[in-house]
Amino acid sequence: MTELAEQLTDLKRRLIAAADAAPDEPALENVRIAYLGRNGEVTKVRRTIGSLPQNERPNAGKEINDAVDAMESHLGEAVARLQARRFDAELATAIDVTFPAIAPVTGSIHPVRRIIDDSAAYFARHGFAIVVGPEAEPDYYNFDALNIPADHPTRESFDSFWLTDSVLLRPHTSPMQVRTMQQHRPPVAIFAPGRCFRRDAVDARHLFQFHQMEGLLVARDIHFGHLKGMLAGLCQELFGPEQRVRFRPSFFPFTEPSAEVDTTCPKCKGSGMLAEATSCNMCGGSGWIELGGSGMVHPNVLREVGYDPAEYSGWAFGFGVERLGLARYQVDDIRRFIASEPDFLEQLCEFR
Amino acid sequence: MRVPISWLREFVALPADDDAIADRLAMLGFPVDAVERRPAISGVVTGRIAALERHPNADRLQVAQVDVGAEQPLTIATAATNVATGQTIAVATIGAQLPEMVIEPRTMRGIASQGMMISAEELALPAEWFEDGIMQMDESLALGRDVVQVFGLDTAVLEVEITANRPDAMSVLGLARELAASYDVPLRVPSFENPGRGDEPPGTEPHVTIESEDCRRFVAQRFDGVRVGTAPAWMRVRLALAGQRPINNLVDVSNYVMLETGQPLHFYDAAAIADSHLIVRSAREGEPLVTLDGVERTLDPRALVIAGKDRILGVAGVMGGVETEVTAQTTAIVLESANFHGPRVRRTANALGIRTEASARHEKSLAPALADAGAARAAQLLRDLGATAYQARIAGDALVAPVPIVFEAGDVERVLGLVIPRDRIEHHLAALGCGVAAQGDALAVTPPVWRRDLIIAADLIEEVARIEGYDAIPAIVPSVAAHEISSEAYALENRIARALCALGYREILTHSLQGASFVQRAQRAGIEFGTAPIEVRNPLSEEQRYLRFSLLPGIVEYLAARDVPIRVFELGEIFAADGASIVESSAAAFAFTVERDDEPPWRDLHFLRLKGDCETLLREVTGRAVEVSADALPGLHPGKSARVIIDGRKAGIIGALHPRLAQANDLGRDAYICLLDVGVLPPAQTPHYVPPSKFPSTYRDVALVVGVDVAARDLERAIAVALGPVCTLVRVFDEFRGAQLDQDRKSVAVRVTLQRFDATITDQEADAAVAKLLDAVRERFGASLRT
Repeated sequence: MTELAEQLTDLKRRLIAAADAAPDEPALENVRIAYLGRNGEVTKVRRTIGSLPQNERPNAGKEINDAVDAMESHLGEAVARLQARRFDAELATAIDVTFPAIAPVTGSIHPVRRIIDDSAAYFARHGFAIVVGPEAEPDYYNFDALNIPADHPTRESFDSFWLTDSVLLRPHTSPMQVRTMQQHRPPVAIFAPGRCFRRDAVDARHLFQFHQMEGLLVARDIHFGHLKGMLAGLCQELFGPEQRVRFRPSFFPFTEPSAEVDTTCPKCKGSGMLAEATSCNMCGGSGWIELGGSGMVHPNVLREVGYDPAEYSGWAFGFGVERLGLARYQVDDIRRFIASEPDFLEQLCEFR
Repeated sequence: MRVPISWLREFVALPADDDAIADRLAMLGFPVDAVERRPAISGVVTGRIAALERHPNADRLQVAQVDVGAEQPLTIATAATNVATGQTIAVATIGAQLPEMVIEPRTMRGIASQGMMISAEELALPAEWFEDGIMQMDESLALGRDVVQVFGLDTAVLEVEITANRPDAMSVLGLARELAASYDVPLRVPSFENPGRGDEPPGTEPHVTIESEDCRRFVAQRFDGVRVGTAPAWMRVRLALAGQRPINNLVDVSNYVMLETGQPLHFYDAAAIADSHLIVRSAREGEPLVTLDGVERTLDPRALVIAGKDRILGVAGVMGGVETEVTAQTTAIVLESANFHGPRVRRTANALGIRTEASARHEKSLAPALADAGAARAAQLLRDLGATAYQARIAGDALVAPVPIVFEAGDVERVLGLVIPRDRIEHHLAALGCGVAAQGDALAVTPPVWRRDLIIAADLIEEVARIEGYDAIPAIVPSVAAHEISSEAYALENRIARALCALGYREILTHSLQGASFVQRAQRAGIEFGTAPIEVRNPLSEEQRYLRFSLLPGIVEYLAARDVPIRVFELGEIFAADGASIVESSAAAFAFTVERDDEPPWRDLHFLRLKGDCETLLREVTGRAVEVSADALPGLHPGKSARVIIDGRKAGIIGALHPRLAQANDLGRDAYICLLDVGVLPPAQTPHYVPPSKFPSTYRDVALVVGVDVAARDLERAIAVALGPVCTLVRVFDEFRGAQLDQDRKSVAVRVTLQRFDATITDQEADAAVAKLLDAVRERFGASLRT
């Protein structure tokens, strides 16, 4: 055996010993550097080739390369062994996946906005614009233009907060009907949500500050059936595909014919009963929830904004948003919407 | 209105199911708030006390022989004291079911009692509205008849809501008419023939002078031979079921006619009207009247009154006066059946603070013709009580026949989207009392006199729809043609809400109406907001007197009420006075409270987080960069507040809440708030892409010692200007103050990023840039390199 062969055999033996002794991958890498690195043992041996006779050099080179191949192959096996050991150790660990999650800092929108926005999305999908307007409104927009003259008994049912002789906090969102129709020619298709005010004593069912959402469609050939179609769709949007809607005759000065709109109580599913002989406390046992008023826009309202009732017809509706919220979220007290307690907002936060 | 179904059945045949009737009324536009069911009562029959004697073995009992129309009278022992031979009474026979008991044979002190004479209470009528003891019935009743059947005690009473446009339906007859039309069965209309005939005795003829346009018609009618007493049992029971307390036969007749027809009546003691002269006029300032409720009132010209020659006798359509009240001594009465202008009655009643069954009807403007009908029904009933009825004397306008409404049968389909055959339309309208005639292809429909709400074709179409049933109308989703109405304002509001939600804030609602206490607390803490709030003229309470001038008070109070770190936002309208006008604007606010940290006083990371949220929000919403410059603002910490400027316009403020304001509100945590004026935010700008340089950038960090009042942003600007376009970013990233530095100096770490689009920046270029930087800040701020 040549001196070179002996040197290489010795190097291989030492590398194998060192590699087998390396406790982890960094230590193994150090072994590799020490033997096969740029300034490693093998390089030192390779440098000695220059001192060999010319005819022995190719053979020596081959011997060294063969030895390097063998050493690299051994190192590769050692790496694989250490990696396997590392993965085995890592995979042997387990955590309690049922441990409580670390919650991110999240925001939420108010349930009132959620209902308004879900409804707005539905109406936008059907070609309606979403409009908003002022809360302090002249009586003209609130009453006169809506066919409620000064001494009309209905004005009293809109018991309002007055700011001046002629300006009040709007008791409904209907002023937006007048404002929009006065600025645009038909077709007019709007959905108008917003805050409203009435001098109602506050209790579990009443707020003096609440939200309403209003819809108006005026165009050629619009009829009551279209009102039913859109509102049935809205209720299905808000409550689910099984939701039913009922229209009852009623009276509002700004619509004729007029209707109250009811939808099946989501708590008792319209049965009026919660359990054996327990009347539903959400709907009072009727199986229906009152959503608000609706009807075909009164010809006087159309005339007031310069539309010809012979040419155009339309419908409008106005629903109380918090009232809807009581049913949608099965809330026990309407005051919770304005109290906005963190727990209330947390529970009603819908991520979708 | 309380409506006994048994009373409705006098006019219309109805199904047996009370709930079905209630549902039908609801679907006709008269929601039923309650269906008050009657207890099951059976085995009670009419009887007459044929004989009455002392109980042989008991001082306090009597033994009656009661004829119940059977072969043998019943022997009944009773403890009641109001019994006498000849009385017609109700007998619960053996086996009878009463609300609280079943009648069984029993022996009372040795006498086998074959039933029980009963009181009103045992028929589930309000005991306090009827005589003590055995309920007295009318002699005319046949014996042995089922009392429950005779008085309709077995059917439910409905609490019906009547909309403001339908005073005609505030009556049993009105609702019966609706049901008859809906069920398509005949309506049995009572006679409205006034039996009054002939002239009154000389000098007693009632004479009415109408001095106000607010009285359209006044029927006055005199009745002689009146005896005040108890009304017949059937009338008393009906009134009681309808929730009206029986008083005496005269008052009961007026109430009965009002409930049946909807026309309120008033009876005057004829002897108390001077010269039989009634004047309808406005009250004079300060005129006194003691009303029937015993209250002494001072009237003013707002009130429409019925007066005698020299004094007021009653408030028109609202309440009569005690002076002309019918008493036990009354032998002659004058009936008033009048028509008043609804709004005037409402204003009068509101001014006096009283609302009666009469005013509730009058204030909705009744049909003038109803006055005649009401008088006629009262005259029939008074005649039945034995009174002499003279002719009705009518003052006021002649009755105006309703004007026909002409419309095409096709309009029904146009409005409803439902085809209803023409003959069916005519049938429905006729059932409601309309006169229907053909006018060419169109229909000429004359509304009945009592339906003053039917004015235009749409009104009639609603009638047709009600009777046909709203359920019959098909639901169709319309297709909406294109239009140009903008949704931008709502979209902006919603974008802000979604962006704040993404930044980890929860949306809350606070009150738009607030009291003065927040501003007062702030003032006591030395903080003036300097805004003139808008005041509500008719607040519900002092806590709701003012419109909010900012979202800040509501949010601060919300934060103060919760002792945990919390992040909230609100969007809403705020209000300010500008001279006499009201300026309303849309505002957004977000705020958070924090755990105290131990940062040095010259550093506030919470403020920087607030600023970061504000910049991010506005960049998302407007697509523009925001500028924040120090400014002391009311309500905020003077050293930790700033204006937010966007495109040169003041868009809002940010800062730490003023510590004194926090303390004044018992807010125990540091709070940070941003208030934005949504109205001034510019429209969103679409971002444009700039491709990055192909050549790598390099950076240099320098620590500069400057005066403590040198603003980071000014340093950044000065460096950017000095280095020119090769400098792509200047960022102050750290600050230090402390013992190693003079007290009025601070060390600021700045990183400049350098990059060229045409070549790689060399080290020499970078070093030259730093030298240039140092020269510039030395000259501008007296800055030195920290060593």
